[in-house]
Amino acid sequence: MTNLPFTRLLRLAARQLMRESHAGELRVLFFALLVAVTASSAIGYFSARLNGAMLLRATEFLGADLQLSGSLSPAPQQIDSGLKFGLTHARVVEFSSVIATDQDIQLAAVKAADSRYPLRGNLRSASAPYLADEVSQGPRPGEAWAEARLFAALSLAPGDEIEVGDKRLRLTRVLTHEPDRAGDFYSFNPRVLMHLDDLAETGVIQPGSRVRYRDLWSGSTDALARYRQEVEADLKPQQKLEDARGGNRQIGGALGRAERYLNLASLAAILLCGVAVALSATRFAVRRYDASALLRCLGLSRRQALGFYCLQLALLGLLASSLGALLGWFGQHVLFMLLGDLLPADVPGAGALPALAGIATGLVALAGFALPPLAALGRVPPLRVLRSDALPVPPSSWLIYGTALLALGLIMWRLSLDLGLTLSLLGGGLVATLLLGGLMLQLLRGARRLLENASLSWRLGVGQLLRHPLAAAGQALAFGLILMSMALVALLRGELLDNWQAQLPENSPNHFALNVLPAEKEAFAARVAALSSETPTLYPVTPGRLMEINAVPVRRAVTKEEGGDNALRRDLSLTWSAELPEGNRLTAGQWWQPLQPGELPGVSVEAELAARLDLKLGDRLTFNVGGLERDVQIRSLRSVEWDSFKPNFFMIFEPGTLEDLPATYLTSFYLPPDSERELVALSRSFPSATLLQVEAILAQLRAILAQVTLAVEYVLLFVLAAGLCVLFAGLQATLDERLRQGALLRALGARRSLLLNARRAEFAVLGAASGLLAALGCELVSYLLYRQVFDLVWAPHPWLLLLPVFGAALIVFAGTLGTRKALSASPLSLLRSA
Amino acid sequence: MNVSILSARNLSKVVPSAEGELRILDSIELDVMAGDSLAIIGSSGSGKSTLLGLLAGLDLPSEGSVELAGQILERLDEDQRARVRAEQVGFVFQSFQLLDSLNALENVMLPLELEGHANARERATELLGRVGLGERLSHSPRQLSGGEQQRVAIARAFAADPKIMFADEPTGNLDSHTGEHICDLLFELNRERGTTLILVTHDPRLAARCQRQIRLDAGRIVGAAEPA
Repeated sequence: MTNLPFTRLLRLAARQLMRESHAGELRVLFFALLVAVTASSAIGYFSARLNGAMLLRATEFLGADLQLSGSLSPAPQQIDSGLKFGLTHARVVEFSSVIATDQDIQLAAVKAADSRYPLRGNLRSASAPYLADEVSQGPRPGEAWAEARLFAALSLAPGDEIEVGDKRLRLTRVLTHEPDRAGDFYSFNPRVLMHLDDLAETGVIQPGSRVRYRDLWSGSTDALARYRQEVEADLKPQQKLEDARGGNRQIGGALGRAERYLNLASLAAILLCGVAVALSATRFAVRRYDASALLRCLGLSRRQALGFYCLQLALLGLLASSLGALLGWFGQHVLFMLLGDLLPADVPGAGALPALAGIATGLVALAGFALPPLAALGRVPPLRVLRSDALPVPPSSWLIYGTALLALGLIMWRLSLDLGLTLSLLGGGLVATLLLGGLMLQLLRGARRLLENASLSWRLGVGQLLRHPLAAAGQALAFGLILMSMALVALLRGELLDNWQAQLPENSPNHFALNVLPAEKEAFAARVAALSSETPTLYPVTPGRLMEINAVPVRRAVTKEEGGDNALRRDLSLTWSAELPEGNRLTAGQWWQPLQPGELPGVSVEAELAARLDLKLGDRLTFNVGGLERDVQIRSLRSVEWDSFKPNFFMIFEPGTLEDLPATYLTSFYLPPDSERELVALSRSFPSATLLQVEAILAQLRAILAQVTLAVEYVLLFVLAAGLCVLFAGLQATLDERLRQGALLRALGARRSLLLNARRAEFAVLGAASGLLAALGCELVSYLLYRQVFDLVWAPHPWLLLLPVFGAALIVFAGTLGTRKALSASPLSLLRSA
Repeated sequence: MNVSILSARNLSKVVPSAEGELRILDSIELDVMAGDSLAIIGSSGSGKSTLLGLLAGLDLPSEGSVELAGQILERLDEDQRARVRAEQVGFVFQSFQLLDSLNALENVMLPLELEGHANARERATELLGRVGLGERLSHSPRQLSGGEQQRVAIARAFAADPKIMFADEPTGNLDSHTGEHICDLLFELNRERGTTLILVTHDPRLAARCQRQIRLDAGRIVGAAEPA
């Protein structure tokens, strides 16, 4: 018997499984796994594909999937390597140059691009300034496009010629949109776009010229990764490799949060189903104690008996997981079909990975949550065939919870919440579970006294809970976990949506005005106020460069790595302000206090930049502004909403520090979409001012957020559905006990209504207790998540106090529905099973 | 056949209880020869089932020793004892202990299949025919009466050709008429196959059909009777 071959055991297990396919607990187990894997792989597919779609959108902000940029022309092998991997390449060279006409000159930001540019997104242009634009291919050799404000500044019309260095180019169209303009708001000078083939003839690029080379790449994720790997090692200090995520703050933030949310939601779904798996596996095991004892009597070893049942569950798990993965794949397909109008047409597929990951997740959850109860089956003493009260030595609770926690940890980790967070969530959850479980036990004990004067149905129903307080506490915890997961996912959805909406309200500023002259400041503000119904705040701007930190030259003060910081390599826009600008928040230090004699004037530094450069309060910074040196001391650090589309500054000086220097003014404001005429008029009245439209960028960003929002809504639905399924599973798991009790009471002559009321009382207490636990748990976990994952500000959620009521209602409803079989249990069944 | 196939020496079982230690079995001495039939009788709580469990290696004694087919049971671990059971021992239980999920034929096939028997199906079919259930092979236990279920259990117990058959109140759940038939069947098969039979019962008529009887009271052997 010890050499019972595996194949024979497998065959026996398979046949046993088929025979028992009608058993309730196996069905629950099957459906729990099915839901877990369906939800997990549907969410996996959904987020992978949406992510793909969003990244596709996001790549437009870069004009590519990946960009190699730097102040040096890339080495030939850096380009050859990309071509070798089959990537598509486009080159862009950016520099500042004076544009000359016969009458006038104007400094412009010139971009020379080859014919493949842009690799992602589109260029848009119009035939004349402020006319409707359309998607267009870039200028041909010999031609150039320019922004409307260059036409205004140089009084040009389409067809006129301009000179870029030594080369004459014909201005053919008005450039209205470059996909990769987003990261470059503060380029003060109007854009001129020309063909790369004309660049050499301009003679503008000389050794030492300030030029930015951008080599754009697009292609398969795989090839991009390999290219990145090959090139990254030999990157020169002046070079930078970035993808859409790293390249753009606004998109990076939204994408990152959405992804974390989706992962969290699928974690919630898996957790829910894990609870169901644990509940039904326990029932599975308990119902097979007799059979297991018999098998042992027939000579099966402990290990073989255990293997026999594990194989059954493994087969079941594989079947449910595969079907779940298929359903998940199918489900997201239907979803994408239904959402066809709202989503981009070219949503990329996601391959087999989410399905495989879903199956793996299902099996890990099965192993983690079902193995511990199953282990008891190997320990059923064979003596049980003679004495039915011989119970298996219960497995150590450490083993049970340890295994479940391990499985959960693995899944959490896979969903790319980081290790530290996984540990803190698991640890926090464990502590919370122990505390809440203890609290629950006390509550139940307290209920005993209250019960003495209650009606029979209450005494019966709640008495049922009190008879096994530990089991009841466990049940309340399980249901509490379900309610908590659902509440948490709902809670986060609301916060995320609010957060995004607040980030981009309908009338977000869609125009920037730069270079407003001090003399025209008041007049400009008045005109804009008349157009947009809001008085804009104008910030003075003067360019300056950070030279020294605590009297140490910047080049030496910061390490090589940080030397790559853009903030140090170019002029910063310095401003001064008496008030903390809207959307800024102090993270350290204080806003301006009256200066003490002998004290240096103050500066307020953006917190992320300060962290990168290791700047602290009290540090002395030396700036070169217009050829003059200015010393200031850091008085405060600020966090800035970079995605607010308002003017934001790395450095804000104390008023009075820079006022003797030449400055222009900067502002942003909102104009309704069809304000072209007003804009032309504004531009004519203030010819020196530069007007920048960001409507197109805003629209892109809104489209992305709309997609994320949609994903979030549907994921919430998935999780709610999973939660309800688990609730039924949990109630099913207690059905045996209820059937017996129901039959006994009926045998004693109880009316159906008494049974029903007793059950309702029991479920109401259980539901209210679960709701209370869920509310407490939800606050705790949301606090952790807000701080560590979502970077949101946490505030208590008083509405969670409704959870006990909601929990009671939900569990009474689901409970009476799920156990209605127990109400009609025939008293005869009791006699038969004796 | 004067070979002892089962012997117990100084066998005791002590369990802890609220009032201190409870001695369920006390210094049992017993020898069973191959091919014998032995009835263990006594009132409820006298320790009959406990003794059966110890003799069959389902449980371990607190003191003393059991030797079954040449193996000292308490020197074996649980899996080794399982092997002894598989090779030497058959069981018939008061509550039949059939697997609900398998039909009659599959229940009988189970021990044969566990051993990897080549023609399990034929053998099980033949045995079920022998116990008079040749027409009910594919019925599930729920579709069978108590007597029929016990016949399936007897067929299963004999399927793997055990040397020793343990029967725990085999007629306890049956009416006297059906019980009679089941007993006939059990003794017939026992004779045919030369099996040693250890039977626990409180039915004196059933006990009387065995070659030997021992009576237990409060965990001690208080009387023994040789065949008339």
